[in-house]
Amino acid sequence: MENNKGMTISIKGLTKAFAGVKALDNVNLDIVAGKVHGLIGANGAGKSTLIKILAGVYQPDYGEILIDGNPVQILNPGVADSLGLSFIHQELNMVPDFNVIENIMLGLKKERKFGLLDWKATANKIIPVLVQVGFNKSPFTPIKEVSVAEQWLVAIAKALYKDVKLIAMDEPTAALSESEVERLFSIIQDLSRRGIGVIYVSHRLDEVIKICDEITVFKDGLLTLHEKTANLTKVEIITAIAGRKVEEFEHINFNYEKGEVLLDVKNLYDENKIKGVSFSLKKGEVLGLAGLVGSGRTELIMTLFGARKRKAGTIIFDGKEFTPNHPKDAVIRGIALVPENRREEGLITNKTLNFNINLPALSVLRNIKSLPFISMKKSSSITTKAIDKFMIKTNGVNSPILNLSGGNQQKVVIGKWLECNPKLIIMDEPTQGVDVGARAEIYKLIRSMSKEGISFLIVSSDVEELPILCDRVIVMANGQFTGELQSCAISKEEILHLSYAEPVQQYIYEQGRQ
Amino acid sequence: MNKSISKNESRRRFFRFIGKFGTIVFLLIMITFFSIMKPRAFATVRNLLNVLNQSSLLIIIACGLTAVVIIGDFDMSVAITASFSGVLVTGLMVKQNLPIWFAIICTIAICALCGMINGLIVTKLRVSSVIATIGTGGIIFGLNYAYTSGSPIVTGIPKGFLNMTLIRLFGKIPINIIYMAVIVFILWIILNRTELGQRIQAVGGNSVATKLSGINVDSIKITSYIFSSVCGGITGILLSSVIGSGNSTAADSYLMNSFAAIFLGSATLKDGEFHILGTLIGVIIINIGFNGLAIFGMSNYVQYIFQGAILVCAVALSSISRIYANK
Ligand SMILES: Nc1ncnc2c1ncn2[C@@H]1O[C@H](COP(=O)(O)OP(=O)(O)OP(=O)(O)O)[C@@H](O)[C@H]1O
Ligand SMILES: [Mg+2]
Repeated sequence: MENNKGMTISIKGLTKAFAGVKALDNVNLDIVAGKVHGLIGANGAGKSTLIKILAGVYQPDYGEILIDGNPVQILNPGVADSLGLSFIHQELNMVPDFNVIENIMLGLKKERKFGLLDWKATANKIIPVLVQVGFNKSPFTPIKEVSVAEQWLVAIAKALYKDVKLIAMDEPTAALSESEVERLFSIIQDLSRRGIGVIYVSHRLDEVIKICDEITVFKDGLLTLHEKTANLTKVEIITAIAGRKVEEFEHINFNYEKGEVLLDVKNLYDENKIKGVSFSLKKGEVLGLAGLVGSGRTELIMTLFGARKRKAGTIIFDGKEFTPNHPKDAVIRGIALVPENRREEGLITNKTLNFNINLPALSVLRNIKSLPFISMKKSSSITTKAIDKFMIKTNGVNSPILNLSGGNQQKVVIGKWLECNPKLIIMDEPTQGVDVGARAEIYKLIRSMSKEGISFLIVSSDVEELPILCDRVIVMANGQFTGELQSCAISKEEILHLSYAEPVQQYIYEQGRQ
Repeated sequence: MNKSISKNESRRRFFRFIGKFGTIVFLLIMITFFSIMKPRAFATVRNLLNVLNQSSLLIIIACGLTAVVIIGDFDMSVAITASFSGVLVTGLMVKQNLPIWFAIICTIAICALCGMINGLIVTKLRVSSVIATIGTGGIIFGLNYAYTSGSPIVTGIPKGFLNMTLIRLFGKIPINIIYMAVIVFILWIILNRTELGQRIQAVGGNSVATKLSGINVDSIKITSYIFSSVCGGITGILLSSVIGSGNSTAADSYLMNSFAAIFLGSATLKDGEFHILGTLIGVIIINIGFNGLAIFGMSNYVQYIFQGAILVCAVALSSISRIYANK
């Protein structure tokens, strides 16, 4: 990258309103070359809106953007690209049938030979970047065969591949596990050393504190804090985000009653990813499932939920044999799923908040029990209840689901199961993209529901989260269990250690049953 | 600076309005224009009832087809099913001597079966909907010929069957309008106010997320195909009563007109979503246009040019408006 002279982007008086509600309110901010700039704030604070304005996706109502003192009009993403701005947006936008390289090159200038696209030369340029971000599959794999976390690595590679002066990353690590995050951080440090500006958006505060030189906090569209990271404490940052003191969610020593076994899985196999998994889960227990990306965690819970084919093994649920062949079998028995990828698997994206919240439990909306007609009044009152319970920020029950910010969409994916009265809730990365305040609320909710006897099986790559939340954590590697940690022994170091360990299956099973 | 916000915001409002109400504004302009130019021929209750009457059969078939389009599929066999149904109902009365009501019930049941087969092929054999229904359409067309040997059923159709579509309520309102209104109302209730309807809409929005919400996507899809075929069947029965014969290609032209109405409808009131009310308005726009042009003495081909042009323009206008409304 030739441009050694870094550039400064100045944002002056930027304002953007959606349907009268201000997503950004008179924001002034300088983003300096070679600095990592942390952008944080509660769900719906306006972070993604700011980034989308820089990317030319939205046009501001007021205000201007200056690059090295010259005003620029970013009318569309093409302009942003030619100005040397590069983006990792909060939502992946990949073409499922295209391969990794084609997805990276979407909209970029490609290598040509005799006027034809030269994919080989292009691949040769891209492969080093893919290796750098830790993507290990063939670059010719179709994106639909690549896991969500790996798709994020591809999105990162796409942003790095171009000659850029500024990279804005909107929650790039929400789906990544510790080791990929480490790798991304070393890339970011390298970028800033080369004089490239980085905007980094995340709800994982430890990451932000670690990697960012300065921090800007947004609250309801207003810039409320701008300071060098070194001058701030974590508590100060949290207070600025939430606008109040949030009690740190400490690990409680849960001496919960060892109740009956709710779920008992024995020697479960699927076609290729799960190789003999056995465990049990008690009523009211919160069980964590840790491991690296690709270790088979998502495949395991999808198999339990009936969304993947089982090959062998028995499952006992709630005292009876359970053979899930379709997710509806699981839902009928009282199992709920919060999937990993909210836009593809969790939400009906062209519908409203109200529609999405009520989808799994439509029969609750009946006015007359024996007739399948639904009551619109009941449906909005249920939605209103969920909005209050999860503090969902929205313009109303009927606002389109895509107009909600990413974190608020995540709350909808959890909230839609409340009316089903599930016995077991399976969650895959439940707090991805959720802000500190709401995260504490979700933790509290999980805790109080588990006291009522609801069990949880939680896949999480956030190693800060598992120790706080879980009674017990099982670690997976290569489709098998490598170890188990009981409440007090759950720690970031132990989880990481076990993520690379050899399988010790039987031992875990016996432990779990005691 | 103040100027820029008002300019931006009002521009966005304008495009939002055009995106949702553009087609309706166009309908109103058309009605006003024809009423002013041809007050005696166009703007009479009789003529407007006439347009509605002519639209009724197309509305029924198009609204049923809407159920399949909502789930993201196409039913290319629906018009052939309608033609088949007209032949079948008359044939059952003439050749098999079944009473009117029983012939109608049998015909509708057979149409429902056709829909179910379409749905099964699409969901269980995983054939794409266009291919599957072109295939079944061919088969139904063949059966149709086998049944009639290609010659229309004209003689011996009971009077009662022909009178079924001749009645005028209060001596004025053609009964077909009432049939249409009842069916549209039922379909609207099903799609918007029942659990099944919510699920159909969910499948159309995101079938993976719908499945992971514990819903049997396959059976929802099959049901949508049954709606489409049954509504096609009803249209076929009414059409054979109107024209007084069972003709094996009578309803074939409804296919393209239905799709035109459905896509026009998706650009009406909602942001590119398919819905019953939109389809209804779509048919009315097309037929008001036809009627007005006919009163002006335009020849047939002008009407087809009109239909094609309005469809492309309306959908383009609404999708472009949506982009600008969200910038
Ligand atoms: N296209 C849109 N139409 C209407 N409202 C919108 C739209 N996009 C965003 N909003 C609203 O603007 C506000 C800011 O949203 P934004 O996506 O910038 O939040 P965010 O800070 O990125 O939150 P998160 O951390 O949850 O991603 C939210 O209240 C959101 O509901
Ligand atoms: Mg965001």
